[in-house]
This record gives sequence, C-alpha cells and structure tokens, in this order.
Amino acid sequence: MAHRGAERDFQTSARRMGTSLLFQLSVHERELDLVFLDHSYAKPWSAHPDASSARPTRTLFVTPRRQHESTIESDVPIDVETVTSTPVPLYDNQKARSVMNECERHVIFARTDADAPPPPEDWEEHVNRTGWTVAQNKLFNKTLKALQSDRLARLANEGACNEPVLRRVAVDKCARRVRQALASVSWDTKLTQWLHTTLVETLSLPMLAAYLDALQTLKGKIPTLIDRMLVSSNTKTGAAGAEALSLLLKRPWDPAVGVLSHNKPSKLPGSPLILVASSGPSSSVFPTSRRHRFWQSQLSCLGKVIPVATHLLSSGSGVGVLQCLEHMIGAVRSKVLEIHSHFPHKPVILIGWNTGALVACHVSVMEYVTAAVCLGFPLLTVDGPRGDVDDPLLDMKTPVLFVIGQNSLQCHPEAMEDFREKIRAENSLVVVGGADDNLRISKAKKKSEGLTQSMVDRCIQDEIVDFLTGVLTRSEGHVGTEPRDQDAEKKKKARDMARRDLAFEVPERGSRPASPAARLPASPSGSEDLSSVSSSPTSSPKTKVTTVASAQKSSQVGSAQLLKRHVQRTEAVLTHKQAQVPVSAEHVEEAEKEDLRAQLKRQQPPSPLPGSKAPKRPKIKVALVAQGDPAGGPSQGGAPEAAGGRPVTMTLGQASAGAKELTGLLTTSKPSASEGGVSTGPAPSVVPSSAAPSGLHTLQNRLVATSPGSSLPGGPPSAVRPLDCVQGEVEGAASASSLLQGLSFSLQDISSKTSGLPANPSPGPAPQATSVKLPTPMQSLGAITTGTSTLVRTIPVATTLSSLGAGPGGKPTAIHQLLTNGGLAKLAGSLPGLAQISNQASGLKVPTTITLTLRGQPSRITTLSPMGTGAGLCEEPTSQALPSSSQRLPPAP
Amino acid sequence: MFVRNVAGTPGPPITIAKKPKYRAAWSRAGRLADQTWSFIAMATEESGDAKAEPALSSSTNRSQKASEKPDYALKFTLVGHTEAVSSVKFSPNGEWLASSSADKVIIIWGAYDGKYEKTLYGHNQEISDIDWSSDSSCLVSASDDKTLKIWDVRSGKCLKTLKGHSNYVFCCNFNPLSNLIISGSFDESVKIWEVKTGKCLKTLSAHSDPVSAVHFNCNGSLIVSGSYDGVCRIWDAASGQCLKALVDEDNPPVSFVKFSPNGKYILIGTLDNTLKLWDYSRGRCLKTYTGHKNEKYCIFANFSVTGGKWIVSGSEDNLVYIWNLQTKEIVQKLQGHTDVVISAACHPTENIIASAALGNDKTIKLWMSNY
Repeated sequence: MAHRGAERDFQTSARRMGTSLLFQLSVHERELDLVFLDHSYAKPWSAHPDASSARPTRTLFVTPRRQHESTIESDVPIDVETVTSTPVPLYDNQKARSVMNECERHVIFARTDADAPPPPEDWEEHVNRTGWTVAQNKLFNKTLKALQSDRLARLANEGACNEPVLRRVAVDKCARRVRQALASVSWDTKLTQWLHTTLVETLSLPMLAAYLDALQTLKGKIPTLIDRMLVSSNTKTGAAGAEALSLLLKRPWDPAVGVLSHNKPSKLPGSPLILVASSGPSSSVFPTSRRHRFWQSQLSCLGKVIPVATHLLSSGSGVGVLQCLEHMIGAVRSKVLEIHSHFPHKPVILIGWNTGALVACHVSVMEYVTAAVCLGFPLLTVDGPRGDVDDPLLDMKTPVLFVIGQNSLQCHPEAMEDFREKIRAENSLVVVGGADDNLRISKAKKKSEGLTQSMVDRCIQDEIVDFLTGVLTRSEGHVGTEPRDQDAEKKKKARDMARRDLAFEVPERGSRPASPAARLPASPSGSEDLSSVSSSPTSSPKTKVTTVASAQKSSQVGSAQLLKRHVQRTEAVLTHKQAQVPVSAEHVEEAEKEDLRAQLKRQQPPSPLPGSKAPKRPKIKVALVAQGDPAGGPSQGGAPEAAGGRPVTMTLGQASAGAKELTGLLTTSKPSASEGGVSTGPAPSVVPSSAAPSGLHTLQNRLVATSPGSSLPGGPPSAVRPLDCVQGEVEGAASASSLLQGLSFSLQDISSKTSGLPANPSPGPAPQATSVKLPTPMQSLGAITTGTSTLVRTIPVATTLSSLGAGPGGKPTAIHQLLTNGGLAKLAGSLPGLAQISNQASGLKVPTTITLTLRGQPSRITTLSPMGTGAGLCEEPTSQALPSSSQRLPPAP
Repeated sequence: MFVRNVAGTPGPPITIAKKPKYRAAWSRAGRLADQTWSFIAMATEESGDAKAEPALSSSTNRSQKASEKPDYALKFTLVGHTEAVSSVKFSPNGEWLASSSADKVIIIWGAYDGKYEKTLYGHNQEISDIDWSSDSSCLVSASDDKTLKIWDVRSGKCLKTLKGHSNYVFCCNFNPLSNLIISGSFDESVKIWEVKTGKCLKTLSAHSDPVSAVHFNCNGSLIVSGSYDGVCRIWDAASGQCLKALVDEDNPPVSFVKFSPNGKYILIGTLDNTLKLWDYSRGRCLKTYTGHKNEKYCIFANFSVTGGKWIVSGSEDNLVYIWNLQTKEIVQKLQGHTDVVISAACHPTENIIASAALGNDKTIKLWMSNY
C-alpha cells in the first residue's frame, strides 16, 4: 500500500506539475516532488518515522521562511538598482482588469439623468449641505471618507502587476467601511435612501464608480438591505436605469474570473456521494454564505453533494450544546445509513467544516464511510488538544484528510502532527499558508501573493481531489473483488459503452430492465434519500439548484454516470421528445434573458462564484451538447433514457435561475405587488391558488415523465402506456410521494421567487392546464418581458421544469414533506377541480389518482413530439455560444 | 546667455524670527531681500579646467576601474536665484534641471549646458522643495505659503494649488505613475494628494516634529517619511497604514530619507553628520557614510548609479561629498561653493551632478565626470 501511495504521489506530482495552473502559484514543496520524480522509492523527507499512517504534510501557499543570514557585513555588495521582478499573476490579467473596471464603465447607469453633465472634479465644494441633519452629515462624511481612501488605493495600486487583487482587497475594505457607516445609522431606510440618492447625484464619476463597487460588494453580502436602500432611486430613475444598476450590482467581480471556470475539478472515480456535515444547527435567518455555496457547487463537480443540515425546533432555545451535537451526529449518521441502504456500493465521503469536520470524524468511527475530509479541523478544545487516550477519534479507521489554516486558532500544524501520529487511520494533512480557522487567507497574503480566496479554495479542492482519488481508486480495486459489486462492475461496463456511443447501447439497455425487478424498490427509496438533500428548509431551493445543475456537469463522464444511475433505478425512461420540451422552453427563456442582457449591454463573464447565474449557464450550455447525441436517434428506445435525464436536470437549474432573474428584474419595478402576490411561506399549505394549477401541471408532467420508465423501461417511447406505467411506478408509494414533494418544493421555490408578481387568478382549471400542451408555456415564457400580467403564466412552466428535473433527471430532489404534511390535500383543496385527486392522494390510493391524471396523456405526447425534435435540432448552436442563443428560438410546433 | 531683469516689487521684508528653518538659511536670505532685485541668470562655463579629461574613457576602462574614483569637475555655474537655493532636481528624461529657491521662484535650466529656460512664478513664500513628474511635464513645489503647486513646465502655468497644510510645506514627491503627490510639512503631517483633482486623499499624522523628507519607492506602493522626531516611517501608499518605523539608537533628527532606485534600501540622513543605508525589510543598518558635516540643515543626498555606484551629498563645509556605496570611502570632494551645499542631484543617465548652495552663494553648479 505504501508503495502504491508513493507511486500515486509520483503520478500526481507529475500530473500536477504539468497541468495544474493553480498549482504553480502555491508555493508547494516542489523540490519534494522533483525528488519523487526521480526516486519514487524514496521516503519523503517529512515522513514521520513512527506514524506510517500519517502521510507527509502538504502545504499550500505556505511561504518558506526566509533564512536569516546571520551577518550582513560591509563586504556583501549591495545592489541598489536591480528591481526584483514580480511574479506574473496566475489569473487572466486582462480579463481580471476588464471585470475590475466594470463599475467604472457602467457608472453612467447610476446617474439619474444621464444627460446632465457629470459633476465637476471639485464637486465637494458644490455639495449643498443646507438642511442636512447631524445624522445626515455624519453619514455622508463617513461614506465620503471611505470612498476617498478607496480612491487613494486605486490610484496607488494603478499599474501594479497584481492590480486586480489589490483592487479587490481595497474595494472589500471600502465596502466594509460603507457598511459600517450605514450600520451606524442602523440602516435607517430613510437615511440610507437619502444617502444613495445624494451620492449618486453629487459624486464625481470616479468616486461614483468606487461607490458602485462598494455597493456591488455589499449586495452580495446583504442583498435585502441594499435593495431597500436602492428602492427610492429606482422609482425615480425609471426602469431602465434601475435594471441596469441591479444587473451591475448583481454579483461582485472576482479577479480570478475565468481561471476557475476554465479549470473545473474533474469528477472523482466511482461516483461517490459527498455528504456535507453542517457545522451547526442551520437557521433560515442566516442563509449560507456565498463562499459555502461556491464550495458546494465546486464539490458537486467531484460527485453528488448531499448537505446534511440539522434543525432545531423552536429556534434552538433550551437545547443544550451536547444535545445539539448529538442531534447533528445523529442526522449525519442516519443519512449515511440511509445512503448505504439505497446505494450499497456507492462510496460515501464525509466532508465537514470546523465542527462539521468533527462530526464527520465521529460518524466515520461509527459508520462505514470511504473517506472523511476535515476542513478547518478544530484540534484544540478548552481541555487542550484532542487525541487523549480516550478520544474516540483515535479509533478512526477511515482515511481522513485534514485541511487546516496555518494561522488557525483552533489548530496548530505541530499539534496536528502529534495528533496524526496517534490516529491509526491513514491520514493526510494540508496546511494552507496564512489561512485562518475557516481557511480564509489574510488580506496581506492576498496582496503579497496576488491571490483570491476563490483561488485558494480551488487549490484546496485540488488537494481534496488528490486525496480522495487515491482513496477511491484503492477502495474501488478493493471492493471490486467482493461479489456484490459485480453489479457495479457491469454497470461500469455499461457506462463505458455509453461513453462510446449511446445508441449502441440500446440492446443492452433494453434487456436490462427486464430482469432486475429487485431494483425496483431501490428506485423510490433512492429518490427519497436523494430528495432529502432538501428535506431541510434551510438548504434552500436555490442551493439545491446549484448542486443539481453542477452535479450534472456534462462532460461525457458525467452523463455516463448519470446514465448508470438511471439504469440502476429502472425508472424515468422519459421519451426523448418529452425531455426536450423543457429544454426548448428554456431556450425561449434563455433568449429572453439574452435580450435583456443585450439591452443592458452588460457582458456577463463566467464567474466561478455560486449563486450567480453565470456558473449555471456554462453548465447548461454543455449539457445541451451532451444531449445532442441522443437527439440524433429519437426513435430508439434506449437512448432517450439518457437524454431524458440530462436535459431535464439542466432545466431545473436554468428554470429557477430564470425565475430568479425575472424576479430580480421585476421586483424592482413592481415592489408593491408582493402583498397581492404568491405567498412566500415555506409551508406547502399556504401555496396559493395561483400557483396551484401549475402544481397540477407539474404533477401531470411528472407522471408522464416517470411512468413509462418504471414499467416498460425498454419500450420505445411511442409505446407509452400510461396506466400500466403508473401502476408500476406507484408500487413504491414513496416514489409518488417524492414526486409530490418535488412538486411542493418547486411550488415553494416558485412562490417564493415570484413573490413580487401580481396575483392573477390561474388561467383555467387544472385539466386544461394539462391539455394546454406546450405552446402555452412557451408563449408565456415569451411574454415574460412584454408584460407583467402574463407573468403568472410563467409559473407553471418553471414549475414543470424544476419538478421534472427533480424526478427523472436522476436527481429527485423531491421530498416527502408534501405528502406527509398533507400539503397536497391542501394544495388540491384550493383548487376545486382537483379535490378528488387530493382525496385519493391523501388516502394513498395513488394509482387511481394518477390514472385519472393521465388520461390526457397520449395526445399530449404526440403534440409534444414535433416540439421535441425541433428543440433537438437547435441544440448544436446552443453549445457553441450562449450569447447567440437569442437568435435561436426554437421553431414553433 | 540670458539676461533677465526680474520685474516686480520686492516682497515685504521677511521676518527673521520665524520658526527655525532647517534647510536654508532664510535669515540671511531675508537680508538680501531688501537689496536690489535685478540680477543675472546665467551659466558661466568654467574654461581652462585642468581636469578636463580626454573623451576616450571607454566603457571597458570603466569596468576595470570599478574601485577607482570619479573625476567630477565643475562645468557650469548657474547664476540666477537671488536668494538661497533650496533644492535642485533633474527631470526624469534628463533634459532639464529645476531649482527652487527662497526667492519664491522656480527656475528651469538645461541639464547639459546649464542654459536658462524659464522661471515659474506663483508662490508667495519661499519654496523648500520641488519634484518632477515621471513624464517630466509637471513639477510640484512645496512652499512656506502652506501650499503646494503643480506646474505645467511647458507653459509655465500653475495647474493646481494644493491647500490643506497648516504650516510650511517642506518636502514633496510624485509617485512613479504621477497620479499622487505626497507632501511633508512643518505641521508634522504627511498628506497624500490626487494630482488630477488636487484633493487631499489622506493625511498621515504619525510624526511629532516637522517632516523633513518624503519619498515613494520605485513602484509607488510604499512611502517613506522622515522627521525631526528621529523616526523614519514606511507607509503603505494604498491604505495609508504605517508598516514600519525605523529608529536609530540615539534618535538624531532625520534630515533626509530616500529609497534606493530599486526600492530595497533606504538612505537616511541624520543631523549627526551621518548618512546611513538601511535594509528596511529587516530593519537593520547596512552602511554608514560619514566625513561630511551635517548638523543643521536638511541636506539632500542621492544615489549615483550612472557610472560607479556612489552616494552623493552636500555638506555644511561648502563641499559636495561622494562616497563609494560599497566601501563607504569618500572618493571625491567637490570644491567650489561658498556656502552650505544644501542640495546635490544626480542626472538620471549621465555622470552629471548638480549642486546648489545657500544664500552666500546662491548658485547652482554642474559637475561632470567621465567615470
């Protein structure tokens, strides 16, 4: 094993030295690597003699300590001329500079009237302060001071080789000071709005750009407060300016833009499930940070990410720390068990931050997991460092990777070494130079080395991939000998086949589902467990979406894995054409968005950051490429299976992203509509009637989508027999329930997102919605920008997409809550036409229910098919360039 | 040769009892101010200079003579200022020499021939320091009228007046990009100004005595300031945070500071007849240059890197001193001035030294060397 490890080291070092761009920046032990290249048998210099399981520490961005020459005497020649060359920044400097100046370029958007001459350079003297209150003066001065120091930083950093990073640091600082200033008036709405208006009116253009930069940064952190601050100006400015401004402010720029999106981490072998243990009880009041979302999306490039959140009832009052901890451990543990029962041969990886890391470790002692990754491991406790004789962690046998910050308060690299010696499990340690407990590097480090946090995070992920790849390849070989995994092997083969050519796989696929009836149970339960990704209200749909979208990163490998999952679960044979439907709809939406975008002349560079739209878009883009293959042979029975899964999943991301965008644009112009709009409450029971039809629609769509797969997986798409299918499908009642949950969630999703929309009554009774066929949603999508009144109509579409994605896309994010809560009953109850369904559903006589729903189906399918092919045809261009997608409206059915 | 009669009325007699000035002997200058104001601005060529070398000192020769001494010889004496000269600076493009004086004007001279070019009028008090922008198109001047002025050299117009200091402005410096100016003042503060708007962006107040010198490093990221409180501070230009404070053991007043051309070292002059070269990143003194006299005035010093590597400084014994940077030996003393040599500047590309003296002398001398 040790030998293997060394070999792997050799390989990775060779690979990484050659390829990883980011690696170049990290001051890695390059010499060590070189030694390994030549002498792979050599023990690393840092290997501990006693602890064979502790692999040598790796360092990231740890600056080697300069050796102090003991004496500098006069005889040492002093060179006063030669300037030491500065290292070339790792990010794309040109691109970084261009995003850096985004605000400067678009500063004019903020002006209330663009025609007025810009304020002169000596604008300060012209500010008329008469009538200002003390508080106003104070606030203005504070803000001004912050902006002035930002100006100084800009000027001083101008032309520096790592100017983008320096600028980013300076802007962050300015934003912090502006935030402090605003906080000093307790974010008084009137004052902040006044300040915004005054600044926009009086500041000179360079200063205004600095102000916008600060706003942009703050918007990413405290969107609600900033939105409130901007409201007044928006109403005054008119829609165009407001929209432009809101687009500009949508997300802070990152110097490392491009680098990260171009160098995505690759998938881990064995398609592991990555369980993320939360580091504390989650709360919906404090949403996850931008960085955590980024991490989640990046991790989901490696495998499927399943966050495990813990919730405390009654907002945690009266719950002791110990109880809470037990609760957390219990949650993770049960999740692990659950996954094991559903995916017996999937490797499970536990990842946690801080306390979550500890939880992960503890769970790994109790349950079998393949590996654990501890980010920011808290080694030190009030009672001293961990690792006493009675510490259960010492019994760990799971391979574990510790990532700690060099300047961490809860951990010290040397103490960590001691601890690692005592652990029996194979373990690795990565020390991130200059980083704190949360692996955040300091400002000074950023400045001096031209780094951004996203780059560091990315390097940490590379280390994680490295470690996990080693563990997984080993365990894969190991497990492969066990009889039970022959299945997996077979699937692997199938996957390989799929990789080669999806169409060729048809016969095999066709034969496959015939035998394994045993797999059927796996399907519902599988969906259930995956669905519990979002079983917690905190793991907001948004996050979920990100995960889904990126999890399906559509390299061929990704698609193949997805495929595998499909086969395994024997569900969701979606006809290809159906699968296309959402995609085509999405095209429209996409196009609309592009239009908007074009209108606003804002370039949307891909950004590695989560939560923003940009990262999803490239993913979607690729998804469509992958989908192109099966589109060629829609008549074949097997191939659509793959096609069915993938594009739909994509649409999930896209749809909600679209919805988000929509609301982003619309809330600003129609802020008052929210009371009348769809309720934002999380409980399904309050899903208002306007959303209900869409729910039904979803339901139906979903049924259509899933049903064929379960009973007649090998059957050609034309041979969809709804009734039978439904029977098969619903055999596992859970499946239906998950479906309903999916619905509920998408409803919540939509309802919360469309809170700004006016509450129009739903367009027609539910059954009609089904028979509306495709054009309607398409039209409504098309109408997004044209009028607000049609906006409600977009809801059904979005819902459809997302819930579809939730199901067959191999990512049934759906959740049991709806059924268990009786949410469906309430939902349906709000729509008289649906009452019967709901009754039956709540009585769990699902088969009948669904039969009822499906009556309209065959016709629907036929209507859809031309649409589908149409969409399929226009896929190729999508993959090439997104911006051009505006011209690519799918042909009318 | 250019003869100019300076028109205009003599200013009010300068009060002698002002706060002690350190760079120039204004009291003497004040006496002169009552006298006649007509004078000749001119450069006299030193003919028959015995030290004139044959022009054949080849570069190969130079490298061999690494340990040898420079042979600076007086080439021109520039006469024009009516009072003590306070500062001379070569323009970065090497074409011009600017000099500031207690007579409230700045004079621009040709750097190679000492030819008078123009006079910049505008300050209504004595000028203590000037500096060129990197493109040699602008000058900034620091004056006792508590302002700084930015001048367009070509037109001779004052572009901006920077107001904000509450006492004499004593030193000033452009950053390498010339979008910022720093100034040190008798109000014990250092201010950072935006060139374009003329606004003060930051005031650094961390000295407890008049600030005697300020300087940006070569990439503009750091500022060094020296003060009579004996402390040298290094500031982050972008944030205005103090990064380091260098203090000598016996804490003599700092009269001059300057980054080395590559920004790695700092040359510090103190009023105990000493110049020291510091490695500021490690906070240690590497070289000490002594032998000259400097106890009273803020005398400029310089790195001379065009030929051999020298340190050049004026002195209160009316000489210009040249040290070998590495060995710390005095390699040449330039004799000729009749008063304290307050300023010595080195040409950016040629082996030319300009030196300026106080009120008994009022002249600028250009020295050239083949090595």
